[in-house]
Amino acid sequence: MAHLAMATGFLLILVGFYGALTNRNILRMIVAFSIADTGVNIVIVAVGYMRGRSAPILDSTVSAADALARIIDPVPQALVLTAIVIGVGVTALMLAYAYKLYEKKRSLDIAKFTELKW
Amino acid sequence: MVSALYLIAAALAAAFLLGLLKEQWRGAAYAVTLAALAFMIWVSAGWLWAFALEGAAPVEIFTAGAEPPFAINLRMGLAEAALTLLINLTGLLSALYLKDALSRLGRRALAVLLIAIMALCGIVLTRDVFNLFVFFELIVIATGGLVLLSDDDHALAAGFKYLIVSQVISVFLLVGIIFAYHATGTLNIDGMAGASLGLKTGGALAFFLMFIAVVAELKPFPANGWALDIYESAHPAFSAIFSAATGAAALYAVDKLLLIGGADWLPVATGIGLVTFVAANILALPQTNDRRLLGYSSIAQTGLVLAVLGQRDILGDATPYIAFGLLASHAVAKAGLYWLSGLVAGRALADWAALRNRPLLLFAFVTFICMLAGLPPFPGFYAKWELARFLAAEGRLALLALILFGALVEAGYLFRWLGYLIKREAPAAETACTPHQATAVFAAVIAGWALGFVWGDLSGRNNLLLVLPLLFALAFLLLEWLPAWTKNTLAIAGMVGWFVLTWTEYDPLRLIFAVIFLIGGAITLLASYAAHGRRIGFYPSAMLMYAGMAMLIRATDSFDFFAAWELLTVGSYFLILRGKHSEPHALSYILFSLGGAFLILAGFALAAQGAPHFDIASLGQLGQPAQPLAPWIFLLLAIGFMTKTAAIGVHIWLPGAHAEAETDVSPMVSGILLKAGLFGLFLLLMTMGRQRLYGIELTHALLWIAALTALLGNLMAIFQEDAKRLLAYSSIGQMGYALFGLALMNHLGWLMALMFVINHYIYKAMLFLSIGGVAKRTGTREMYRMGGLIRMMPLSFIPVLIGIIAVSGVPPLSGFGGRWIFYNAIMTAELRLPLVVIFLAGPIAFLYLFRLIHTIFLGQLKDEFRRVREAPFWIVLPQMIYVVLLLVFAVVPGLALRHVDAYLNRFFPEGGLGWTGPAITSSYGYWNPIAIMIVVGVIFATLLAWLLFVNRRAQKVRQFNIVFAAERPFRPETTHYAWNFFAPYRKAMGFLVQPFVTRFWETLTDLLHTAGDLARRLYDGNGQSYAFHFLAFVVAVFLLRGGV
Repeated sequence: MAHLAMATGFLLILVGFYGALTNRNILRMIVAFSIADTGVNIVIVAVGYMRGRSAPILDSTVSAADALARIIDPVPQALVLTAIVIGVGVTALMLAYAYKLYEKKRSLDIAKFTELKW
Repeated sequence: MVSALYLIAAALAAAFLLGLLKEQWRGAAYAVTLAALAFMIWVSAGWLWAFALEGAAPVEIFTAGAEPPFAINLRMGLAEAALTLLINLTGLLSALYLKDALSRLGRRALAVLLIAIMALCGIVLTRDVFNLFVFFELIVIATGGLVLLSDDDHALAAGFKYLIVSQVISVFLLVGIIFAYHATGTLNIDGMAGASLGLKTGGALAFFLMFIAVVAELKPFPANGWALDIYESAHPAFSAIFSAATGAAALYAVDKLLLIGGADWLPVATGIGLVTFVAANILALPQTNDRRLLGYSSIAQTGLVLAVLGQRDILGDATPYIAFGLLASHAVAKAGLYWLSGLVAGRALADWAALRNRPLLLFAFVTFICMLAGLPPFPGFYAKWELARFLAAEGRLALLALILFGALVEAGYLFRWLGYLIKREAPAAETACTPHQATAVFAAVIAGWALGFVWGDLSGRNNLLLVLPLLFALAFLLLEWLPAWTKNTLAIAGMVGWFVLTWTEYDPLRLIFAVIFLIGGAITLLASYAAHGRRIGFYPSAMLMYAGMAMLIRATDSFDFFAAWELLTVGSYFLILRGKHSEPHALSYILFSLGGAFLILAGFALAAQGAPHFDIASLGQLGQPAQPLAPWIFLLLAIGFMTKTAAIGVHIWLPGAHAEAETDVSPMVSGILLKAGLFGLFLLLMTMGRQRLYGIELTHALLWIAALTALLGNLMAIFQEDAKRLLAYSSIGQMGYALFGLALMNHLGWLMALMFVINHYIYKAMLFLSIGGVAKRTGTREMYRMGGLIRMMPLSFIPVLIGIIAVSGVPPLSGFGGRWIFYNAIMTAELRLPLVVIFLAGPIAFLYLFRLIHTIFLGQLKDEFRRVREAPFWIVLPQMIYVVLLLVFAVVPGLALRHVDAYLNRFFPEGGLGWTGPAITSSYGYWNPIAIMIVVGVIFATLLAWLLFVNRRAQKVRQFNIVFAAERPFRPETTHYAWNFFAPYRKAMGFLVQPFVTRFWETLTDLLHTAGDLARRLYDGNGQSYAFHFLAFVVAVFLLRGGV
């Protein structure tokens, strides 16, 4: 299960990279990066997964005393939350950029924004 | 002490507070931001004080009431305090600089700026890798916002390209972090280091991913196109932060990661850093856009620091001193230059000439360029010295060579730019500079000098900013408002005073050099009384050169010697640059000089073999590891010194530099400065003597170089039309003679070299002044345009006549004495063939000298010069002093030489001269100067009388007599008899003076330029290409390392 998730995650990362590098449309690139981000998040969660354990929530079923033996590692989950938030921030910024870039040139082709070079 | 957590809390709180303020309260919002940044500076400065001066121990700051690995922790230590101070200061000064833009944009922009600075501090402080990622992402978002502060609408595209690449980078970083966590069970950097991540399954790969992602933040070559676009298009105040603060924080992040990676990864860091340093510098060569150039330079400097961090296995405890010395130099200078670039309207490098009319801004620019180039007394200089010392001791010579090569390329474009600034036409538009902008720029200037002082203080060597001659020279910067003659008097008094203070310390050899440098310098300065106005820039440069020379002869330690060498180089560079058309020549001078200086640096570093202090005197008794290297050390030092004496092959800078310099500067740089190189050669041969390399006696090689230099220098001189160029080429030849004497390695050879040192100083200073005076009055330096000036400028004629007699080595003047010793010396020499060559050079010298007197002073006076006046009094006065000196030295050469002769007995006990009575005896004969003077005087008087008698009815030849009727010359000067005077000789020997050497060096620089120009096409401007570059970079590093 964990291996499957991890493989999916890496696959998504590769798909995302491929999409971002082959699509010249800026919006498609942003979508591709979101896919890659999702892939990373899946990988992180998959790394934290431990077979046969429950979610890291301390309630009536899992007490603090036996948590160590029964829950999965909560740290990757916390990391994923942070990573998702940051990913949203960056995606939003990229979308704002895309809007501005479109306003400027009436085009979303990344190859059209090459005035700065060399 | 305020907890370092407040660095983050204050910025966050202020950013939140900004959100609560009303949109219209722009002033209040700006004040809150500045207050928060000032508070952060106060916190980091307080810590820096505690660590640096009170010796406090580093402090761990735990968050969330738990210790790692259960919570994030921060650390405040010396490095953290210094780096956060650097970041916060850059932030505050940039905020000041950005006052108008930030006030216009209001609180949102202010909040983003605060977050950026906070995140940079966070990167430095945190000990948690995931926290590091979060702060990096904050930087990405803040950068994405702040790039748009720019007026340049290309910034939009640049920002987006940056976001694309940073997305790829963050994927690598996150995947790396999670697997590193999986392997070690902690996110704490020290915890990972303790758990030896690299040994765990998959740990090495995880580390590689983290490492490469953080290294990518340093903009390594070639994965850095995005950064260049940001540097070029962002607001300069933001670029200052991006270059100085972001670069520093990212470097520290890499440094922390290297803790985890351990020694295995150090070579990788060095490799990436070094490739980046060299490549970015070469790519910068063809740049014309100032901000992009600064971007390339930033990337290069960051690469250099990364390379240094990778050398910590041998640098050990010295790593922070070296790395931070380089980093601080880079950060302060680069921030300052970016701030300055905001004041310049045009984006071409030559547009910076606008600063010419603002001496203070110009001074700021010069300070920054010297800092970047690693010149004394700035921290980069000390760092460079230490770095070379360690690398040479461990035998990492290829590394040292590449670093020095990169640094030379960098100096090339930096000094070319400096030349534009000082020599190009300033645009008509005034340079506007608000008080806020000025504050930022001059804060950087002050920081630069203060850091120079601190680094000198920490160096465990002489703090250069406490050395009296240097302080004296720098004091002239503060006296610039005084009229030139006051400064001139002060300068002369200072030089003479320093000589009086120190003259008892010198041995006879050094005393001769001291007299030439200090007293001789003072005499040439008399000519500077002829200048009017304030002459801004002249005295600091001239005194810097003299200070360097004064320090050079007193130096015993190799570091002091090298520092003095660099100082005199810089001073003379600025002095030469003052000439009207000297921009390209000054550039070639500084490049050859710095190249030579780097060889000297490498030579000393090899000789020291890691010893912190190395006496020049111990070059003679090298310790064991250095002993087999002795010939190489000899070679490096000799070539280094020979760049200063313009030996053939490295001579091409001299003619232009000396000829285009101002009237009173030419004698200084020719008569005096060249002797610094000879002094170095004296020391070298005195200590190391004969060395063999692959069976070749190196002094024999020197003999050949010297003989060829003398021959070719003289040959090139005879074909010049420009009188000052002629004198300049003649200096090359004369230095060849002096070098020849030294390379003979016998008593008389050295004595002759010293004789040349004295003679050449006197007559070259005299001739340059005389010809300079003539050029000043006639407005031309082309000899065929002159003629008959003996009647108008008789006082300028006398020194030329005397000088010619002296230089050509005919009796009765001291030149003859030089020749006499020379002939005696070569009788005992081991090689015959170079002797023939140098014999040939003798008569050639007479040819060009004859031309000076014949074409300028004799013949017919041109119409346009009928009203020419004698040269100014102050230019004539030193010439007269030289005439007297020359005559005195001719009659009683023993005054100076007998002491040196006695001194030389220490090195060559045999072959000295006898000094009894008026005659001087050698084993081959004797020389009686006074008798010769009388004999020649009588012959001359008789001949003159006879000539006057027979010439009573001579017919005068008109100037254009040789023009045939109806012939149409294609250029008027071709009909002048004095033009192309030695055409027959040119036919015979012209092939020898083809500019082969010039072509060689030109081809070399062209190649570098072309390489840079081709390679930079890599950056095609497409964001996708940049992302691809990064991926390619990752793969390349992975493969080159042979997996992980």
